[in-house]
Amino acid sequence: MSSSLPDCRDGAALLELAQKIVAASPADETEVTVQRTEDAYVRFADSGPTQSADRSDLHIAVRARLAPQGGGPGFREARATSSSTAEADTARAVERAVALARVSPVTADAPGLAADSCGPQAIPPGVTAMLDQSAADRIAATTRLVRYALDGCAAESLAPAGLVQLTALGTALANSVGRGVFAARGRAAMALTASHAQGGSGWAEDIRGSLTDLAPAGAGPADGPADGISVVERALAKARQNREPQSIAAGEYTVVLEPAAVASLLLFASYCGFGAREVAEESSMLCGRIGERAFSPLISISDDAADRRHGGLPFDGEGNPRHRVALVEEGVLREPVTDALWAARLGRENTGHGIGQPDPHGPLPQNLILACGQASRADLLAGVKRGLLVTQFHYTNMIEPRDLTLTGMTRNGTFLIEDGEVCGPVKNLRFTDSLVRILANVSAVGDEAAACGALFDGELLTPALRVEGFRFTSTTDF
Amino acid sequence: MDTCIKAVQAAEQAGAQYADARLVRLVSEDLALRNGNVVCAEAAEEFGLGVRVLVDGSWGFAALPLAEGAGLAAAREQAPAVAARAVELARAVGSAQVRGVQLGPAEGTVGEYATPFEINPFEVSLTDKLALLQEAEASMVGAQETVSREAGLGLRREQQWQASSEGARQHQVLLRSGAGIATTAAAHGHVERRSWPASFGGNYKSAGWEHITGLDLAAHGERMRDESVALCSAPACPAGQRDLILMGNQLMLQIHESVGHPNELDRVFGHEVDLAGSSFATTDKLGTFRYGSDLVNLVADSTVPGGLDTRGFDDECVPSGSWHVVKDGIFTGYHTSREWAARIGEERSRATARAEGFGNPPIIRITNLSLMPGDWRLDDLIADTEDGVLCDTVRMWSIDQRRLNFQFTTEIGWEIKNGKLGRMLRSPTYQDTTPEFWNRCDAICDADHWQLWGVPNCGKGNPMQVAEMSHGAAPARFRSVNFVQ
Repeated sequence: MSSSLPDCRDGAALLELAQKIVAASPADETEVTVQRTEDAYVRFADSGPTQSADRSDLHIAVRARLAPQGGGPGFREARATSSSTAEADTARAVERAVALARVSPVTADAPGLAADSCGPQAIPPGVTAMLDQSAADRIAATTRLVRYALDGCAAESLAPAGLVQLTALGTALANSVGRGVFAARGRAAMALTASHAQGGSGWAEDIRGSLTDLAPAGAGPADGPADGISVVERALAKARQNREPQSIAAGEYTVVLEPAAVASLLLFASYCGFGAREVAEESSMLCGRIGERAFSPLISISDDAADRRHGGLPFDGEGNPRHRVALVEEGVLREPVTDALWAARLGRENTGHGIGQPDPHGPLPQNLILACGQASRADLLAGVKRGLLVTQFHYTNMIEPRDLTLTGMTRNGTFLIEDGEVCGPVKNLRFTDSLVRILANVSAVGDEAAACGALFDGELLTPALRVEGFRFTSTTDF
Repeated sequence: MDTCIKAVQAAEQAGAQYADARLVRLVSEDLALRNGNVVCAEAAEEFGLGVRVLVDGSWGFAALPLAEGAGLAAAREQAPAVAARAVELARAVGSAQVRGVQLGPAEGTVGEYATPFEINPFEVSLTDKLALLQEAEASMVGAQETVSREAGLGLRREQQWQASSEGARQHQVLLRSGAGIATTAAAHGHVERRSWPASFGGNYKSAGWEHITGLDLAAHGERMRDESVALCSAPACPAGQRDLILMGNQLMLQIHESVGHPNELDRVFGHEVDLAGSSFATTDKLGTFRYGSDLVNLVADSTVPGGLDTRGFDDECVPSGSWHVVKDGIFTGYHTSREWAARIGEERSRATARAEGFGNPPIIRITNLSLMPGDWRLDDLIADTEDGVLCDTVRMWSIDQRRLNFQFTTEIGWEIKNGKLGRMLRSPTYQDTTPEFWNRCDAICDADHWQLWGVPNCGKGNPMQVAEMSHGAAPARFRSVNFVQ
């Protein structure tokens, strides 16, 4: 991870670049975001590493705002981006943004840019460790994890497929009314799918803040219980259980959803449920339910970028401080998240959940946390007379937004539970059900959370859930 | 080109047995209005170098954005360092290699390609572009149930230079344009959306401004508004077995998800199973498996005029081409890269390895993949259907990791009874399994009904990359399909 670009951690340099571009802009208001990324990954499969990449990136976004011609409230605004720090290139980006803003219609209720700042942010130690490590050491550590996964799968005649990825991101934002903020974040992830030749597979994933969290310094297969190694062990254990799955009929079952399965459902509430725009446009599950206990009293959901387990940037796409927002408290639905525009439009506080403006989507909660409950894994299973344990869902998608009706397929291990015991694997099933109904029918919440993503964008923190009457609507032969 | 050549030479000097380098300049413009406000006005530029190397059978890739404004000579000076990073990486991960990569015969084509167009969309004034969108958005005004009106357009110009250690030297300029409208109504507890001419922001093609003006967006806004309002009080499509007529803007996604993705050879061998999934279309089925009825002919073609993946060469320097993926219902060919073509003994790659921008290594991507037209008129097809549903415009899609069990919902449906279109149906949702579905196809409309539909946002890979392609389709009928609620 080395290049001619400023270091991801160098907030002063990135902020100086942003401020220089702001100063050169003729617009009435200007906001500049500079993102520096270093990203390295190795993908692997039965042939060993199949792709390896070491990438530097830079993204500059210039937001130019012009007052309405002839006066009046609001702004005409536009954005231009560039991947270059050269003055000629950034000047061209400013020109493009201003030219676009000049012909844009006025957004009359758009508020002015804000100056307040979330204050200086420490560089997370994981980011420093990741960027200070030599390329050779980092690749060697990554390759050890890959080799351990390959060896583990080979020993059990399983086909491996997986990824180890390390990312460091530095983001600086400056605007023409005096805001200047910077923060850095790291992400390290390892995932492994281990598949039997005759069908059945196991999967596990770990998402942390840095490689040192994923695999502590010096750790390799022989060196101890690094979390990266536990991904391999968990995937192999799941694959051992998921051999020769049996058919099972579609229908309603009590289910224990592991964290990855919960994440692929709950992420749709992030995309299409908890934002102020969707509520204002009557397209959210919150519509008509705010203040109601629509979910099980066991369910509490918040958005909190400051959570140390899986936090995000402390400021949003306009540099506004991200506040913790309680979205669901003991089953009661609360107000949605806002950004500067939607807060002004609705006369509410800005919770700091904007993305880069202008943007059609509106505010988004990008750091959802489903609060842990009291149930151990054994407790979750113990409450099931006859049901299913679901590892993961594949290709979940939304049919209807008001009840968040979703459909998707089970994947990488679905197991019959009888009298609280996991009895054996079953073939994959398709579910079609409403997230509102699912969260209303939660009968137990796990006591341990994991950071999980899904096929589409986003990650969140969630424990496992036990849900009554979960609807499976069709089956497969595998 | 000098930058690419310099990178390739540096990679060879550092020990690579094979190298290719791509210098990409991407310029784009996106404009969107929503409820009278500008919600997207973005002009993006990206310029950078990606270098891929093969060292003792292991791949390495490195990428760096370049400061074009500081002078091309300065940018060129960075090429050797990028190449060295790729070689270092490939060498290091080689210690975990199980089986080395074989590339098959060399590909050393020298050539040029540029998307044909009539009007350069980047030379059309911003005022004209916004005026077109404002007119389109205004055409959807007028119903109190409407909660959103959207009109947007997108333009992409991708200029790419690529060189390889096998002597390839290629330059291509790909131009893509598209636009669309959508409106959403909320009433009676339902939220219903109508889009024209398709979902995913409209219809995109490899073409110029003439494509966008040809869509005549404003002429369709009123109907979209009225249908979205009417859907809020329309009956839900009832469950049960019925004949299904799919319009082209839904059939295109059916082709994409249930034929295109399972046809990617890296999936078949499990190399995408960690995220995107695998495929039921295994190599033992090639040449014998009945994928669909006799009527079903699916042709992949990266040369078809207007296709979003129509280009001169893929990102491995292989010239574009066409082939049958399914011929007369029988499964006959895969999408491949050079590595994967060699793996199954094919003489040459199908030229479908592509990368997003400069910052990603190429992977196998669906190219333009089309269902060939039949000989029906749509009116005759409806008249010939006793009990069915006509489904229009993608709303929701989901398919399992082997691309068998799928469930799709369209924005709107129309009941067909005794050969006549009847009442509007809300949220028609059908579920089936890929080969069974394609074997239900008993009628396809003719070439007059056939057109290309663009998919500008196809995701694959891990980390995910976005690519674009088109699917040609005319309305087609599928007998006795399972509708669910």
